[in-house]
Amino acid sequence: MKFNNQIKYLSISIILLLIISCGEDKPEPEPFQATPYQIEIPYGFPTILNIPEDNPMTVEGIELGRLLFYDGRMSGRTHPDSLMSCATCHIQANSFECGVNHPEYIGGFTHGITGKPTPHVMLPMINLVWNSYGYLWNGIISKDNPNPNFKNIEALVWMGIVAEHEMNSDTNLAKEVIQNIPGYPELFKKAFGSETVTVKNMNRAIAQFVRTLISANSKFDKYMRGEVQLTQSELSGFVLFTTEEGADCFHCHGGFGNPLFTTHLYYNNGKDSLFTGEYEDPRDRYHVSDDPMDLGAYKATTLRNIELTGPYMHDGRFATLDDVINFYSHDLVWSPYVNPLMHHINDQGVQLTPQEKANLKAFIQTLRDEEFLTNPDFGPPEKFPDEK
Amino acid sequence: MSKNIINTTLLILVFFTFFSCNEKPDPPEIEQHIIINFDFKNNGEDQNFDTMMYINEAGNHYMVNEIQFFISDVILHNSNGSEFLIDDWKEIHYVDTDIPTSHKWEVFDNIPAGEYENISFTFGFIEEKNHSFMFPNPPERDMFWPEFLGGGYHYLKLNGKWLDENQQISPFDFHMGIGQIYYSYPDSIIDFVHNAYKVVLPNSSFELQENTTKSISFIMNIEKWFESPHIYDHNIWKGYIMQNQEAMNVACENGHDVFTVKF
Repeated sequence: MKFNNQIKYLSISIILLLIISCGEDKPEPEPFQATPYQIEIPYGFPTILNIPEDNPMTVEGIELGRLLFYDGRMSGRTHPDSLMSCATCHIQANSFECGVNHPEYIGGFTHGITGKPTPHVMLPMINLVWNSYGYLWNGIISKDNPNPNFKNIEALVWMGIVAEHEMNSDTNLAKEVIQNIPGYPELFKKAFGSETVTVKNMNRAIAQFVRTLISANSKFDKYMRGEVQLTQSELSGFVLFTTEEGADCFHCHGGFGNPLFTTHLYYNNGKDSLFTGEYEDPRDRYHVSDDPMDLGAYKATTLRNIELTGPYMHDGRFATLDDVINFYSHDLVWSPYVNPLMHHINDQGVQLTPQEKANLKAFIQTLRDEEFLTNPDFGPPEKFPDEK
Repeated sequence: MSKNIINTTLLILVFFTFFSCNEKPDPPEIEQHIIINFDFKNNGEDQNFDTMMYINEAGNHYMVNEIQFFISDVILHNSNGSEFLIDDWKEIHYVDTDIPTSHKWEVFDNIPAGEYENISFTFGFIEEKNHSFMFPNPPERDMFWPEFLGGGYHYLKLNGKWLDENQQISPFDFHMGIGQIYYSYPDSIIDFVHNAYKVVLPNSSFELQENTTKSISFIMNIEKWFESPHIYDHNIWKGYIMQNQEAMNVACENGHDVFTVKF
């Protein structure tokens, strides 16, 4: 009897163990989850987005990013005279460049809070979520960079804080200041699950906001969608833009098949003939790729809102769009490194007539996107977290 | 009673052990695949880029900087008369000399084992398949062919430089795609010409054995673009030909024997 009972208990125990072992584990507390944000792909735009796996877009992250983007205390300072934010230079009305009309950055040439000039002029901050070929004029911030901290837009935020020619600050100072502003810790918790402000999360939030800066509603976009017609001058300019016999802009700057209006690639476009010694630029593409054919090569910028984003070229040598069109028309300079797509190089340019120049400019101006320039979602917040 | 419990327990244990750990294995599938590698030669040697070291049949000294192209509709012609079209997952492949991963196409299709007499493909795309916006993403996107010139995509971009008649180094963009027939050049187009053409690779017979993967190299012999049946002289055709159907036609006719195959 006793033996039978032992067998009975043993059997029940085994069955119980089996049942328990097959059952679900004790539920753990759900991991932190902010509200996912989905980017809508505009007509004709790429479907592949450059969003790092460790920084998915969320509603809370984007809103926090917008606050930080516009908050001068990101510089780690609180005195009114020493504040500097991303928006100090990246102004929405100028397509997130400072613009040639900026009261402090004369002619559109920026400098850091200490007065030290930035090495190159600004690049437009438009549709960057579709850039897979590197950021900055030479593409040093890229998924191909072996340094894990130099991969994406997140790195640019960090650079903006510490660079002498930008905020000239310290990341510890920056996070300490933000940590101590009432309201921010709660927003960091909503976005990233912790009230502790970290530089990494500051970078991630601002990068998320920047990835929402999408321009896809210019007159040309509407033309692509069949909503409006271009004028005869604009159409003539479009033909010039997209033909080799015309101005041949499209190979580097896109067009109907590439509405980003840039390939995001790097070209020596015939501005100069000397690239070594005193003419060497340690920030050209060659110094990233180590390919001699990249001497004097820089990123082809997007032409969206280009009329607002002067001065032009990496060194800002051209103040106006007319200057740029004249350069491509008559003033190209041969060098062994000029990109082979510059097939008019030995004619010094594409030799446009005054009427053709006017038509080309008229077309380029159809890339102005007023909605982008005034979208309140991209603009300054109504108030910062510590404001009532 | 106890016997029953023991029996039941053992039965449950056997049941759990048997079903929790074992799945009946599926019979092995028999699959054959091919991998197409792309290579670039010039007069039988590996192509060197960015160096003015070649002389074409017209006597032009030239260099090649980059090559980008599409092939589509690769067909394996079986000796039994049947054809096998590679179209599983994709039927168009993009090759870019600057993107090494594009030099290897691991074809997804499960290809019947057998003897194949030859391989053919379309250089570029036939008219029905050359649609604007079919590649929204780079790098294929950057091959788009302007709407005004016929739309769709470049079949080929072969960019380089040559020493012109003035002994100046001049860029050439040997680009192929949809050609135009002009009523008045360069503004008034009355018709388009779809220049894509079929390439039958010479000496491309091979046997694909059961359960094997065959590697095949498609070799672009660069010098052939400028050689036969027409001698292509950069000094005549100059640096750009997208709006020059006559030049593109020469390029197409020269292109028929540009590719060879190696197993």
